[in-house]
Amino acid sequence: MNTPTILKLVQPLNILSKCSPVFASQFHTSSALCRVVSGKYRITKKRDRPLTYEMANPPHYIAHRKSWNSWNTSSLKDGLRKSETAVEDEFIRRFINGTWHGLVCSEVIIKRQFNHIRIAAIIRRAVSPTKMYFLIGYTEELLSTWIQCPVTLELQTVDSYKDVVFKYI
Amino acid sequence: MSLFIRKYKPGVVYNTQILWRLNSTTAETQKQGEEEEEFRVLDILQKKTRIQKKAARRADIQPDRSEKMPTDQNWGNVWPGPRSFHPSSVPLPIRQGYVPKGQAPPGKKANAELMKIPNFLHLTPPVIKTQCEAIKPFCTEWPKLLNSEEAIEKHYPVEVITSDYCHASPTIRNPLARIVTMRVKLSDLKLDSRARDKFLRLVGDKYDEKTDLVTFTADRCPVRKQNLDYVNYLLTACYHESWTVEDWEKEKCLEDMEYYDFDMHPSKKNLVNWFFMSNNKENNLSDDEIKSFDTSSIPNGVEYKNAVSELFNEGENVTTLKNYDTAVRKLLGLPEKKVVD
Repeated sequence: MNTPTILKLVQPLNILSKCSPVFASQFHTSSALCRVVSGKYRITKKRDRPLTYEMANPPHYIAHRKSWNSWNTSSLKDGLRKSETAVEDEFIRRFINGTWHGLVCSEVIIKRQFNHIRIAAIIRRAVSPTKMYFLIGYTEELLSTWIQCPVTLELQTVDSYKDVVFKYI
Repeated sequence: MSLFIRKYKPGVVYNTQILWRLNSTTAETQKQGEEEEEFRVLDILQKKTRIQKKAARRADIQPDRSEKMPTDQNWGNVWPGPRSFHPSSVPLPIRQGYVPKGQAPPGKKANAELMKIPNFLHLTPPVIKTQCEAIKPFCTEWPKLLNSEEAIEKHYPVEVITSDYCHASPTIRNPLARIVTMRVKLSDLKLDSRARDKFLRLVGDKYDEKTDLVTFTADRCPVRKQNLDYVNYLLTACYHESWTVEDWEKEKCLEDMEYYDFDMHPSKKNLVNWFFMSNNKENNLSDDEIKSFDTSSIPNGVEYKNAVSELFNEGENVTTLKNYDTAVRKLLGLPEKKVVD
């Protein structure tokens, strides 16, 4: 019953959005998805769930208690290459997590300066230094080939996951 | 028994004790043994050995670089360029993180927050100093005559404003960098009153009366160089066009004037005639001579001229009428207006 009216309402909007020029930055008005639960962790019965500092602070504390994981000028007002940067960052994160499988103890921090991409992470010392050096070179080489930018890995190593645990809930 | 004796020949106290223990079948010797030492506990899980094994595996890890640093080292060599924070290279007891009151914030090791924030460890004051010294030979001295803003404005009246953008992306191009703005003071252009009037009509709203600046902005071409050329062309064209006099411009008469010019109107003639008559002088000036007659030679003449011009240009209001009143009274030598309460 209601579908035709909805269609009528939606169609002119679509046409409008197609015809109107795409502005550099558009105002984002949609509400956050799963605002109550996303990025937050439930307390366990035994109070033994380990949380890093990043996990311990929910998303609304970004810029108050914790800072961003991606640093670039695209996210500024009127920044260039917004979507490309976001997709590339996601790709880098997945690539690092897969290449350093089970070794990455923190979030992957991506900082961009000019065309230089610096990737920082905390890595567990579970593989031999030789393998680590190989993985660093491998990651840098492949990422710089794909993204066509110089990529630098800036890693910090820890003995075990327990070193990055901030608290247990 | 004899075997044991032979094996532990050196005769250390410990060995003899073991001997005693092995031999302790009788009640007497057992008593003696208990007094000297307790029985060893049977270690089924063998925790001790496991810990030892772990420690042995981690022996290859080097101690922190910051622990070996001398106090008089050159920090610029340790941290030469921009880099994420690394705890083992920075000999500072840094902490970062929000914790409940009474607790210490997380230390520098395994602290992702410290790695996130941009640091300026590569730009310490001594490093900046050395870098400045290094580029000094390539710098030229600032011209001595251009020591003030006024001098710069005088010698370089044309101001070109462009923006360079620094951003994190594989390309260094930014479309906003193409925009060129040129500013010039109208008083710096050599224009007479007619040419100035025409220039103002040509540039329209690009002229700001408050600052006396003419601003040309161009963003229509894709490259900055082209925009700069275009802006230069605009200024040149406007300037020369304002100096050319077209034939139809001569047809402009007094009624076409957009503002009241005292010298062109009959008021000037009346004033000059009145001045000559009141001084009993002969008045045989032509119309052009009256137009170019200096009002300041008449006592209070300039004030009257300004008051009349204001009255016509701004329209009648309390201030202009009051000014006109006082100017006329002064000109004619009448007493000042009495304020009746």
